[in-house]
Parts: sequence; C-alpha cells; structure tokens
Amino acid sequence: MELPPLTMELLSQLVASNAPPSQLFEALSRYELQACLIPIGSDSTLLSLFYSSFFLVHLLTDQLSEARALTKRIPESLLQQDPSLQNCLTLLRAVWQTQHGQVYQILRGLPWPGILQPLVRRYEGFFQDKTLIAVSRSYEAIRLATAATHLGLDEQLAKQEDPNIISNFTKCGWTWDPESKLLHPKPIVVSPTEPQSSDGIRKAMAMLGTHAV
Amino acid sequence: MTLLSDIISASAHLHSSDQLPSDEYDRQIRELVEYFRRLQSTKSLHSLANDKSVLDPLLGATLVKDAMLRLDPSCAVFTSNHLLLVRLCLQAKAYSCVLPVLNKQICHFPISLGRSSSEPSVLCANNGSSVSFMTEASGVSSKLSYREYLQYFLYGGMVYMALKEWRNALHFLGIVISTPSTSSVSMIMVEAYKKWVLVGLLKNGKLCSPPSITAPHAVKVYQSLAMPYIILAHAFERGDLKRLNAEIDAATGVWCADNNVGLVSQVVGAFFSQTVIKLGKTFAALTVADLSKQVFPSPVCAEGVGSAVSSLVVSRALDATLVQTKGNAESSMLRFSSIHSLPRLSHELDLQSQLRQEMRLMESLVINLGETNNNLGLSDEYVDGLNKGQVWSGSSEVNPIVGGGRLDLRWMKI
Repeated sequence: MELPPLTMELLSQLVASNAPPSQLFEALSRYELQACLIPIGSDSTLLSLFYSSFFLVHLLTDQLSEARALTKRIPESLLQQDPSLQNCLTLLRAVWQTQHGQVYQILRGLPWPGILQPLVRRYEGFFQDKTLIAVSRSYEAIRLATAATHLGLDEQLAKQEDPNIISNFTKCGWTWDPESKLLHPKPIVVSPTEPQSSDGIRKAMAMLGTHAV
Repeated sequence: MTLLSDIISASAHLHSSDQLPSDEYDRQIRELVEYFRRLQSTKSLHSLANDKSVLDPLLGATLVKDAMLRLDPSCAVFTSNHLLLVRLCLQAKAYSCVLPVLNKQICHFPISLGRSSSEPSVLCANNGSSVSFMTEASGVSSKLSYREYLQYFLYGGMVYMALKEWRNALHFLGIVISTPSTSSVSMIMVEAYKKWVLVGLLKNGKLCSPPSITAPHAVKVYQSLAMPYIILAHAFERGDLKRLNAEIDAATGVWCADNNVGLVSQVVGAFFSQTVIKLGKTFAALTVADLSKQVFPSPVCAEGVGSAVSSLVVSRALDATLVQTKGNAESSMLRFSSIHSLPRLSHELDLQSQLRQEMRLMESLVINLGETNNNLGLSDEYVDGLNKGQVWSGSSEVNPIVGGGRLDLRWMKI
C-alpha cells in the first residue's frame, strides 16, 4: 500500500484528528522518510510544520530523549530560521530542565501556527496531568503557590488563597489546611500500561516451578 | 526506477502486512540491504554521515529494520544486518528506530551446515525458529568475526546512552568488556570499558566493577589504559566537586580524543543528584539549608537548591518526598525514608508487570536454549565425540574423559 504524499492538507488532518498519540507517532514516523527527501527551498513551510508536529507528538508520547534526537535530524538551516521550530527548541529546554512554569508560558504565550494549535493544547493537557501525578507523589505538604506553578495555574490568585484554585486540588483528593496554609497531596496511583490479568503471578510462579530443575 | 523510489516503495510495502511480497520483491529487498552493507564497508562512519551524495541514513535504517523484522521477527540470530542497522541509526540519530531489534535477545550465530543437506531449509511460517533458515549458506548475513559482535554491542550501548537508558547501556557494555579473550584485548573492548566507567557513574554514582566473568588479564589492561577515567570516578565517589572539576579539566584532551565529552559533561551534571542520593543512606531527612551545606563547599542560593531538589524528586530521579513549610524555601524538608510511600497496590502492580516481562524473556530463552541444545546434538563435533565414546566403552582401555566409568563424584557433594 503506497503512502499518500505529504501535503499541508494531509498534515492538518492528521494533527487535528483525535487519534491516540501512539498512532499519530506511527503515522508521522512514516512520513519522515518523505520529509527528508523534500528540498528545504521548495517547501520550507510544510517541512517546518511537519517537524514541529512530529516534535510535539514525541512529547505527547513521552519520548523526551528521542524528541531531542529529532531536533538533531532537522536540517540546520531550517531549524535556525523557522520560528515554530525555535519555539520547539525553547520548549524542549524547559521540559528537559523540568521548569514547569516556563513550559506553560511557552505553550500559552509563544506564537504557534494555527495548524499546530490542536497538538499544543493536547500537550498542555498531557503535561498538566503528568505533573499532577508526579507532584502528588513527590510532596507530603506543599504551598498553594508552588502547586499552582507546577500545574500552570495563576500564581497570584494562589497567593491570595483563591477558593477556585484550592478546589482544583481538593477535588483530586488533596486536603487543604487553612491554618498552616498548606496542601497535603493524595498520591495518585497509575496502573502499568500493560493490560492486567489476575493470574499473572500464578503463571510466573508455575513457570519458575517448571523450569527450575 | 531510481534507488530512492525503490526504497520508499519497499518500505511502504513492508508496512502493509496484509500483502505477501513476491520472490522478485524479496530479491529486490535483499539487493538493497546488500547495497547498504557495501556502502557501510567502503565508507567510514564519519564520511558517510557528511556525504550528501549518499542516501540519507534514516531511509536505509528504516528499510533494513523492516526487512530484518519481516525476515526474522524474533531477531534471535545475529547477522551482519544487526550491525548495519545500529550504525545507520546512530548516523541518522534515529535511536528509537533500532529499539525493536536491539530490545530482542540474540541467542544464536548463523550455523554452518557442515554436510550438504538433501532438503535445504526453506523460509516459511511454520518454522519453529529462525536458526533453521538463517544459516551461513543462506546469504542473509555476510561473514562475521568477533569484531562485528563487539561493535554491535558497543553501538547498541551507545544507542541506549543517547536515550538515557543507563541500565540497558551498562548491560550492553558489560557484554563487550566481558567477552572471552585469551591474551590480547581488543581496542573496542577498551573503548567500551571507558564508557562503562562513565555510565556506571551516571547510573549508580560509583565505579562499577566489570562483570565477574571478565578475564583478569583484561581487567588489568582496562585499568591501565583507562586510567584518567578511573581517577575521575574516584573523585566523583569521594564527593569532591573541586577535585572532580580539576580532573575533568586536566584530561580534556583524553575525553575529546575518545569522543566522550558528552558523557563526561553529563557526569558533572549527575554529581548533584548522586551526592543527594548518597546523603539518603546516612540521613532520614534533611532541610534544604543543611543539604546545601553538605553538597556545596561554598554558599549557594537556597531558592536554586530548593528548585533543583524539587526537580530531582518530581522527575523520580530521587526516591524521596518534600515537605514544605509555611516559611521560606530553606526550611523545606527532604525526607528520604518516606511514610508517604505509594499505596501497596501500586508496588504490586509494578511487580506483576515486571514478572510478566521476565516470564516472556524466560520463555524466549527456554525456546532458544532448546534449539541450541538440538543443534549441538546434531553437530559433527558432537557425533564424532559420541562415536569416540562408544569406541572407548567397547575397548578395555580406560577412557581418559570419563575415567573408565568410575567418575569422581566427590566434587558434586560440595
């Protein structure tokens, strides 16, 4: 089955689709072969949007190291001149250094092309969820302003102990102590991605018994 | 058709798994893989990467990977294509492209069929194992030497390093440095040992001993040829940041010559996290102010340290929790032995997942061990040995191997 040629319409359809990130990654991976054959001068806009989309999908699939490797594969002249690819580099630096506040600023404040907006919004949601889980496991007690910074909420409102900000956390099971002015997170448990079966350990032990002799 | 269109068409066909390729198509794929192999053997890694007249290595890597997985989904037989693929992926900087092959267990070399077989093995879906058709005579792989074997695992380790999968990187480098050798040691093994030292610091924060099966003479060679790395590791282990920086500056030329500048710079970056992890072995909890005094010789900004510690904990590089107080950042507490640990269910789910992975690995190994056992049983050497054994047992002379049937079993009681 031949792959249809990479065009702006096809790319915008892919990016706007609600496909799972792994499927998006698979599809864009296959188009990278076509992208590396397109001369930079002939269609630099398409190339820029393709590589920016692919970069964001790497982040959506939590492949930070590979996203960094992608930035090394993008033609240097394109990378240095293109504003959306420069945004990607800034975003990569912030995510790499776990500067959560900066990540939200970059995603919300920098000018991203319209075609990339669906992916940028998706990544913002993904990053927020991922950070919420990490913070819930990392802190026993946390100041409201610190928690708000981690999750991209309004820091000024947090300092004023805004009830809406507090409710964002309490609805996740966290408790708010008005005396100490601290939040007490409840660790969020995420089951492994693999489908669980109830007899997994039994099978493993049975196998150990079979092959132990 | 040009070569480029051949490759893209081939790659598209390989992805559509519902279409069975024709013989002609298979032949074309083999020719393309052979083309890449020749390209690799005639040009150095560096010149190939910089030569724009040559095809993009990403195209080659994708094609070779797809062809390999199509031909042998288990990738259990080591071929020259393994090395070709990992080199192309390193050149293309497409590290995850090689993972479907790199993550599979290699259990066999292509066997040589010593005697001519009346019914040559054919490639079909019912074959129990790829070792039956991935033979030396099949032409799937070019002739292999110890060098290809060492290079594959060294490059594989480099791929894992690029992806910061330090545990896998150590495993691959460990295979290279513990390769059996009689008297001499390959320079590939020495290069692997240098990286082993640095990756050991990044993963465990200490100088890791070579695997126990490493030949003692090889260890001596490593220690003499990788002296700057060992000195660096000792400075790291002592937790002396000034000394570490001094050692790094003193041997800048060595890191450059060995192409290990990137790893060395990461070692400096890992110094803080590894020092904090070590503090966890002594203290149950520390305030950020105390931690700052323990780690840094000169005073540093408490906000900066607090932020760095928070990054470590949130990214799970450090297994600890933070307890903030109402006051400033300095009064925040880092608790190593946490009462705020994850619910028991989470650990059990993780354990179950790990057990399932181990079970899959064990099943694969058992199948491949059975295959190896079978092949050894059919080999000329084994049959000759069996014949000799029967001759000995039929004569009155004492078999020097089994000692006339009276085996000394005392050692078995130990």
